[in-house]
Amino acid sequence: MERTANIDLAAWRADSASLVVNRQLSLRVFAGALIFCACFSALFASWLPLQFSVVTVFLFAGPHNWFELRYFLTRLPVRFGKSRNFFLTAFSGIAFLTVGYIALPVLYSFNLFPDHLWPTLLASWNSLLLLWIGVLVWLRGKNKLRRDWSWALPVTFGLCALNWLAPEFFSLSIVYLHPLVALWFLDRHLVRTRPEWLGTYRRCLCLLPLLLVGMFWQLSRTAALPDDNGLFWRITQHAGAQLLPNVSSHALVTTHVFLEMLHYGVWLVALPLIAPLAKTGKSQNLSTPRREAIWRLKTVPIARHPRGFPKLVATALGLGLFFVLILWFGFSVDYATTRDVYFTVAIAHVLAEAPFLLRML
Amino acid sequence: MKQFFSLGALCLLLALAIPAYGDIAKPKEKPSPSPELPKFVLHTRLVVVPDNKAWEAKLQISQSSLQELRAALGNGNESTAQSITRSSTRTIIAGVFMFLSLSFAGVWLARSVQTRGQKAVAALLFGMAVIGATAMITQANAGPPGSYYWKKLPQNLTKGAPTSGGLDIEIVPDGDIGSSGMQLVLPIKPN
Repeated sequence: MERTANIDLAAWRADSASLVVNRQLSLRVFAGALIFCACFSALFASWLPLQFSVVTVFLFAGPHNWFELRYFLTRLPVRFGKSRNFFLTAFSGIAFLTVGYIALPVLYSFNLFPDHLWPTLLASWNSLLLLWIGVLVWLRGKNKLRRDWSWALPVTFGLCALNWLAPEFFSLSIVYLHPLVALWFLDRHLVRTRPEWLGTYRRCLCLLPLLLVGMFWQLSRTAALPDDNGLFWRITQHAGAQLLPNVSSHALVTTHVFLEMLHYGVWLVALPLIAPLAKTGKSQNLSTPRREAIWRLKTVPIARHPRGFPKLVATALGLGLFFVLILWFGFSVDYATTRDVYFTVAIAHVLAEAPFLLRML
Repeated sequence: MKQFFSLGALCLLLALAIPAYGDIAKPKEKPSPSPELPKFVLHTRLVVVPDNKAWEAKLQISQSSLQELRAALGNGNESTAQSITRSSTRTIIAGVFMFLSLSFAGVWLARSVQTRGQKAVAALLFGMAVIGATAMITQANAGPPGSYYWKKLPQNLTKGAPTSGGLDIEIVPDGDIGSSGMQLVLPIKPN
């Protein structure tokens, strides 16, 4: 049952020689689009980092969360089967850690803890996050017969140790590493759906460190960005300007915005359009795959399956759409506050990526 | 008899009242303005270099140290390195996790590897974990005291050799060090 999604994905693999020419063309278009998007994002992020950050979060933050939700629903098996413990741990961890993360700023506003205790609280939350991921890796590894994933425990404990030495820096690393997880998702998705594109994609990824080093080299000696405005101050703080006073805030914000743009690009463009996920039951013909509209409920395996949950999926996607509209309304009324609230609540989608990525490994 | 009993009870009551009264807290004195306490803002290293060609003493500060000092003063917070070294609880917890990490890594290697060389690496990792745990239990991450580095200063000055050691930068209220703008306190004990 839990392999349903994989079967659908496998069905998209091409096996017809007549499509080779088109595929070569598509491959070039794919590589060109990747390089263009990366360069375009780097250029704009370097030129107008603060403005670009404001606009991109306004436009893409909500929709990319909806697309992620839809993607995760397509990856969800109808019955958990042997993965029951994995999914129970995943969902309970997401709920508990999200509530804990949201509670931190609430507690801060009530002044319940002295200032010197905050790094300890932050380190505790980070440790719980790491231990949760460690347990998920271990549980996932139990289902893998040919691989031993017990290395996850020493790695988890090692990361916990680093986290306790500098919890603020560890949290900042999550801010910068989270956008890169989307690239990993795309990699795993290409392995399943378009393996012939994988080499090109990975070669394109080599451009990423070059762009990052180039941006840092150009911007590391530039003056700090003006953060006298409350909103701009929030953006520079989010990028770590306070924690890294020796690094130009221009370079920090640019790097963060650039990575965020790649993240949004993967979720909003690459995954839904380049590598379509599913097709309807009637069109199940391996040689002629047909792209279905992403809003069609039948494209989600757990909604299409006879023993699935179409109403639940429809409600989840409908609620998601409603929250996207609410978010846009909030940004229009009070951008700064809505941005703060969004980046606090959005930890849920950061957490949700971990178990679903593990399921694809 | 009844009067004698009443007198005795009164005496006892008075006798008890004396220590009871003595327990009453002293009236609160008016709070006097507390003197500003010295504040550590940064820990760095200092090198004392005798120079027979120089006419005036010089204080040279590296660009990065100055930026760290500015940041520490501006934020009112400790620097990263300082916050790590001064938070014993966090250091201990980090040490415990490091111990667990090395131990599990050793066990995992021992279980997963076949060759003798790999087993040796596993044993080495486990040994490091044990040594780390022992160090943590006994002395945590404490290094030698600062005076250890500075005790050779007089001899080095005589030889014209440089001496380097740890240095805490402390901001003190005006007047605490006389009319001087800066004062260097060195942990050297006279023989």
